[in-house]
Amino acid sequence: MDTMAAIKQTFFQECEEQLAELEDGLLTIEREEGDLETINAVFRAVHSIKGGAGAFGLDELVRFAHTFETTLDGMRSGTVDSSPQIIKLMLRSADILADLVRFSRDGGDMDHARVAQMAEELTRAGGHAPEAVAVAAPAPFLAAPGEPDEFGFAPTPVTFDFASEAPAEPGVDEFGFAPVMIDFDEFIAADAAAPHVIDVRFRPKPELYAKANDALRLLRELGRLGEMEVSCDRSDLPALSELDPEGAYFVWNISIANADEAAVREIFEFVEFDCDLEISTRVSGIDEEQAAETVRDVLAQVAAQETVANLPPVADAFVAAPIEPVAAIPAPEAPVKAAQPASSSGQQPAPAAAAAQQGGSTIRVDLDRVDRLIDLVGELVINQSMLAQRVMEAGIARLSDVAVGLDDLEQLTREIQDSVMAIRAQPVRPIFQRMSRVVREVADMTGKSVRLLTEGENCEVDKTVIERLADPLTHMIRNAIDHGLETPEERIKVGKPEQGVVRMIAAHRSGRVVIEVSDDGAGIDRARVRQIAVNKGIIEEDAALTDAEIDDLIFAPGFSTADAISDVSGRGVGMDVVRRSIQALGGRITITSRPGLGTTFTLSLPLTLAVLDGMVVTVAGQTLVVPLSAIVETLQPKPSDVHNLGDNARVISIRGAFLPLLDVGAVLGYRSEEGDPLNSVAVMVETENQSQCALLVDGIIGQQQVVIKSLETNYGHVFGVAAATILGDGRVAVILDVDAIVAGSRSDQARADANRKRSAA
Amino acid sequence: MGIAAAGSMTLPSELDIKAAIPLATELLALRGRDVAIDASQIERVGAQCLQVLLSAAATWHADGADFTLSAPSAPFSDAVRLAGLDLSDFSSRNH
Repeated sequence: MDTMAAIKQTFFQECEEQLAELEDGLLTIEREEGDLETINAVFRAVHSIKGGAGAFGLDELVRFAHTFETTLDGMRSGTVDSSPQIIKLMLRSADILADLVRFSRDGGDMDHARVAQMAEELTRAGGHAPEAVAVAAPAPFLAAPGEPDEFGFAPTPVTFDFASEAPAEPGVDEFGFAPVMIDFDEFIAADAAAPHVIDVRFRPKPELYAKANDALRLLRELGRLGEMEVSCDRSDLPALSELDPEGAYFVWNISIANADEAAVREIFEFVEFDCDLEISTRVSGIDEEQAAETVRDVLAQVAAQETVANLPPVADAFVAAPIEPVAAIPAPEAPVKAAQPASSSGQQPAPAAAAAQQGGSTIRVDLDRVDRLIDLVGELVINQSMLAQRVMEAGIARLSDVAVGLDDLEQLTREIQDSVMAIRAQPVRPIFQRMSRVVREVADMTGKSVRLLTEGENCEVDKTVIERLADPLTHMIRNAIDHGLETPEERIKVGKPEQGVVRMIAAHRSGRVVIEVSDDGAGIDRARVRQIAVNKGIIEEDAALTDAEIDDLIFAPGFSTADAISDVSGRGVGMDVVRRSIQALGGRITITSRPGLGTTFTLSLPLTLAVLDGMVVTVAGQTLVVPLSAIVETLQPKPSDVHNLGDNARVISIRGAFLPLLDVGAVLGYRSEEGDPLNSVAVMVETENQSQCALLVDGIIGQQQVVIKSLETNYGHVFGVAAATILGDGRVAVILDVDAIVAGSRSDQARADANRKRSAA
Repeated sequence: MGIAAAGSMTLPSELDIKAAIPLATELLALRGRDVAIDASQIERVGAQCLQVLLSAAATWHADGADFTLSAPSAPFSDAVRLAGLDLSDFSSRNH
């Protein structure tokens, strides 16, 4: 990889981090837990992306980031209120930004129209507020400044052209400002002509100089924008003996006539974190306070506009609400507002917790290196157990120094293994964050109002597991919103809050990680599910099924409950794909549903894909490993327990219930004759769909943690085998795919025959 | 006139951030005496060196000594004007 590509790759990695921080920050603000520092962090994230993108000439990304940043800056300075509408808009913008980053990295075609539209919305929401003053000031609605009530909502659409110079109609004031599209372009265009002065208060910090920027160069650039007056406040300058020659003591007050504020900001773009900067536009001949009032009025309208545009008609009651805080705040409080929520809703411990998560230093390591290390540690574990076995075979006493030393070694290897696994472990947070985007998009598409609640984002899981969880989780979330949640109207009818809730919870439970995705929707319509299953020939018309079995039908291949295939979830892939991908991870998925109360999907996943707790068994002279997670119990069959069923099927009776009895040796093709149950051990296993089955094996050697070696990558897929491992004696043992064996024995005898032929060959 | 003999100093052509500490050290060494500064060689000057010079002028003033900056080069005058300062700020006469 050449240097440029490497730098670019680093940039994109950093982008991912910035995007995560951006979204995190916005969500914090949305929960009203953010403070000014949160907004700053959000701003910095966008700013950094923009800076990097600029260096690589990613123009579209730079342009959009710039627009985004401008609006965020408005929020930071308090000219844009952080209303829920604005935050929503910003979250969607963050999605677009993420898309742009992705397309810049991977290539492909961005939906330019969507980017342009979002940029326009952002511009509209943020407004070039100070510029707006320039034109807005002489506009007629100044006639009643400070009386926001008069601007109250009239439903009559009145087209009102701000730029027109014909303000005479007195009727306009009475109508107030009905929601109209406010075209800021006209403001800006007109702005250039209006006489105004930009005031800049610029106080560099020592860092500014330390980064090889010079205040004088910035002043020189400012001077090019227009007629400039500079006054230098040097009251802080100490006597020479106390002076830090590389300190920063000057404060400049600068006024520039008729310059473009954006251009002024651009000059300070790369130093803005290294100085205190205040930039304001003053219109010649206009009372400043009156002007500020006008800005708020305009913004109130923008907010109203947003409300009307985004909410369904039911939300009448909400329409007026967002306007109030904007219109009602007295002038001096405006900039403080953004900082308010943190202190006012201080009972939540979340901000402190969020702060605590930061800190700690990290290094970036190539994943291949970690994987190589994990492989090596796996070899070490195998080697250690081989050594232990050799020592045993050599007849060395258990209490001899050698054996004791080996025990210590074993403990050490286990510890090393755990620590190495911990390197790959990552919190599920990023994937949860990705889901919040899915929720937004699907909610938009389906017209439902949805809130995503997450819990346990810090739960750590193997990186591979996390990566491969994205698709199944996306699908489940889509399903939960599209099929699970009712429409707002239906929800109100049944007395639920209009906004649906989707919950994602991650937790560690007995050595596995459990992820729950639940909705508070209508639950599964069992009658309908059953009918569909019958129609599609998945079950017989007269099949007697329990509720759980009916719920389970939605995992059946080719099952889709949506009457019409919707854009969102019904793509024919359905939940069977989800189940399969979860199983491929060594996990299991279960569903519980309560009519009227919602549905919960529970995923149980292994913490790692590298080791597995297994029961080592022998079958027809072969050593096999049965995953411990699947085993319920083991027992020695008695003659009275085993019954023949037809020609070649047997069942075993356990505590009054009959379970199919499968001879693993026969299913896998190790032997053609079924083994004698009386000389064997029955291992009772439970499969993903909770059906139980007894597997017949010749004997049990013991329980052991084994290092998983993929059979697919090293050899090829074999029916009934999930993976392989190397045992202490150096022999390869296969790890059973319990589900495949149970399912396969029922449906497809041919596969077993194929296996038999393969082993014979 | 001060008790000690008058000192003098010619400012180097580059007065950027790297020059600020040496400049301050050199000036401090001259403290207590009248000082004449030759600014004719300056080609580039940064804000921090302006701070040092300005602080020196004020310090000399407080000490009751003369601080005279003479023959300012065009780039220096330009920088002073740009910073919203005046050349007279860089001289202090107590006599």
